[in-house]
Amino acid sequence: MTFDLTSEQDQLRDAVRALGRRYGHGYFVEKAKAGEHTTELWAEAGRLGYLGVNIPTAYGGGGGGITELAIVCEELAAAGCPLLLLVVSPAIAATVINRHGTEEQRKRHLPGLADGSAKIVFAITEPDAGSNFHRLGTVARRDGDGWLLSGRKCYISGVDEADHVLVVARTEDAGTGKLKPALFIVPTNAAGLTRSKLDMEIVSPENQFLLYLDDVRLPADALVGESLDAGLPALFAGLNPERITVAAMGAGTGRYAIERASGYTATRKVWGGRSIGSHQGVSHPLAHAAVQVELARLMIQKAATLYDAGRDLEAGVAGNMAKYAAGEAAALAVDTAVQALGGAGMTTEYGVATLLGAVRAGRIAPVSREMILNFVAQHVLGQDKSY
Amino acid sequence: MNIVVLVKQVPDSGADRNLRNDDNTVDRGSANNVINEMDEYAIEEALKIKEAHGGEVTILTMGPDRATESIRKALSMGPDKAVHVVDDALHGSCAVATSKVLAAALGQLNADLVICGAESTDGRVQVMPHMIAERLGVAALTGARKLTVDGGTLTVERQTEEGYEVITAATPAVVSVWDTINEPRYPSFKGIMAAKKKPVQTLSLADLGVAPTEVGFDGATSAVVEHSKRPPRSGGAKITDEGEGGVKLVEFLATEKFV
Ligand SMILES: Cc1cc2nc3c(=O)[nH]c(=O)nc-3n(C[C@H](O)[C@H](O)[C@H](O)COP(=O)(O)OP(=O)(O)OC[C@H]3O[C@@H](n4cnc5c(N)ncnc54)[C@H](O)[C@@H]3O)c2cc1C
Ligand SMILES: Cc1cc2nc3c(=O)[nH]c(=O)nc-3n(C[C@H](O)[C@H](O)[C@H](O)COP(=O)(O)OP(=O)(O)OC[C@H]3O[C@@H](n4cnc5c(N)ncnc54)[C@H](O)[C@@H]3O)c2cc1C
Repeated sequence: MTFDLTSEQDQLRDAVRALGRRYGHGYFVEKAKAGEHTTELWAEAGRLGYLGVNIPTAYGGGGGGITELAIVCEELAAAGCPLLLLVVSPAIAATVINRHGTEEQRKRHLPGLADGSAKIVFAITEPDAGSNFHRLGTVARRDGDGWLLSGRKCYISGVDEADHVLVVARTEDAGTGKLKPALFIVPTNAAGLTRSKLDMEIVSPENQFLLYLDDVRLPADALVGESLDAGLPALFAGLNPERITVAAMGAGTGRYAIERASGYTATRKVWGGRSIGSHQGVSHPLAHAAVQVELARLMIQKAATLYDAGRDLEAGVAGNMAKYAAGEAAALAVDTAVQALGGAGMTTEYGVATLLGAVRAGRIAPVSREMILNFVAQHVLGQDKSY
Repeated sequence: MNIVVLVKQVPDSGADRNLRNDDNTVDRGSANNVINEMDEYAIEEALKIKEAHGGEVTILTMGPDRATESIRKALSMGPDKAVHVVDDALHGSCAVATSKVLAAALGQLNADLVICGAESTDGRVQVMPHMIAERLGVAALTGARKLTVDGGTLTVERQTEEGYEVITAATPAVVSVWDTINEPRYPSFKGIMAAKKKPVQTLSLADLGVAPTEVGFDGATSAVVEHSKRPPRSGGAKITDEGEGGVKLVEFLATEKFV
């Protein structure tokens, strides 16, 4: 297996880096603090085709894979602009619709996702079903030709910016207790769908919402694949792209924090003429964090390569490991950077403490570190399930 | 309008750059090579003219094999095709010889307009547009911060120390541009993917009818005999403000004849 980037992937990396740097972390924080979105950056990246790199050319995308999308996520984050909705809209929603939607659904939704003019967010988590999605309580009932959806969702990112939300529900006749999930493409302005914004301690231009679905009436073609059999595979189709791109965002954030910190410690002088970076008490933690971030990047590349080669099962293991490694590395890198900057580390101006909330959340969402360790213990180490 | 943009591959000016110890030429082997920054503005200007008036944009590069990377990168911004002059005998060529080779290549391309950057970040001599125009017998409009095309008439705002001059010329002509002229686009992902399928024609000295003796070290009209690194900047004067920092600053400026 080789993870060498092709020259086109290299050029994509350079181009996205240049774009991200023009906006920078200052722009990201300003938008977040003003309660606004990174609309300009999203639109420009969309026009340049960076948001739709993984969507087939037949639907207006770039015809690349998750490797390309991970590059976009990582480079924007490395420029200080970790865009959470990249993980949701092009990674999860576009993959699910492309792989399991009907031709009609692909034609309707993918072009907008490809150029960034439309966003589809993703709603699976419920107050009583986060780590354990077998307990989903959102129910889809038949209503003539169509469907009625009822339930509650929480922590759903970006609903205020999206045209549609991909809702994971269970069908009513799954009386056996076994999850028979069904995915619905629900307009965010559908009658019966209401939302309330959650107050989160994360500096982010993206918001999380509680969603209430009260007999939301949907036509037959809102069901992904227009078949109940499409549900489970569709749900699983989104997982690997989600893990890999969220990991890439974490690795990029880690790179950003280490770059900020090492730039600072190389010139900051506290004792006589020596930089604080010359003290190993400062440089070793940064070097350690850099090693962790680099290892995570390697696993991300492996996972993306496996996924793009169609080796989904192996990509699942690698993707989970990459997500775990990147989540931990990003949190370590940001914390280490804050420490290395001393008081400056806590200011808004130096732009590292602004990421503390986001990297902390990265160890919980979209899948917690414990659930990944459970996965590895069971599926890689062959241990019995404890829950 | 048939536009040719001259694109040079140079060592990244943001990184450490060196001359080679053996022959005093620019060390391209160990450097991170990129498109000469000013040439990106030239490409952008050419693309804008094509978008407004139609026509074709061709990239012309003289450089070693590895310059292909820069050619692909240039093509990813949107030009239609490229011509790469590559020949081992070219190593060590001076500006006069380079202009001869580029003019010979341009002679085969039938350009209405040749656009290039006002200078390269490695050589920084600013002579190429003038020399090429002279060899082609066409007008040189150099140092442009604005370019307008009206049929066969080019109007340029030429950046000067004091302000700008407005000059016009008829096509064909050579225009060199500064980075004030536009904001180069980022290559789109589609542009990046399309670039690898665009035609790149390679030409040797033989194809151009230029003898190897006219170029390279043999044909050089000038040569770098010796080089050394600029000594590191000295610390400069540090003024600690103990109540009279302002006075000391003015004293310093006065002794240096700034005020
Ligand atoms: C910023 C942010 C954005 C989000 N965006 C979205 C979104 O767009 N769409 C969406 O659907 N969801 C979203 N989520 C929700 C996220 O996916 C969940 O928070 C996550 O899956 C954890 O679920 P939970 O919060 O219910 O925690 P719980 O499931 O209640 O878990 C609580 C703790 O217990 C641990 N735990 C649970 N079970 C076990 C076990 N068997 N063994 C060991 N430890 C265990 C967990 O690891 C965790 O530490 C987002 C969350 C955040 C923070
Ligand atoms: C919330 C907050 C409130 C504050 N309130 C006050 C206040 O009320 N009054 C006040 O006077 N100050 C206050 N401060 C300033 C605080 O005391 C300083 O930030 C702190 O002493 C660190 O100094 P510094 O920021 O200059 O970091 P630096 O001295 O630049 O240190 C940067 C990093 O280098 C490390 N380092 C430095 N030298 C060495 C070495 N030799 N070996 C190993 N590591 C080294 C440090 O541990 C740190 O990690 C406050 C700071 C904060 C964040």
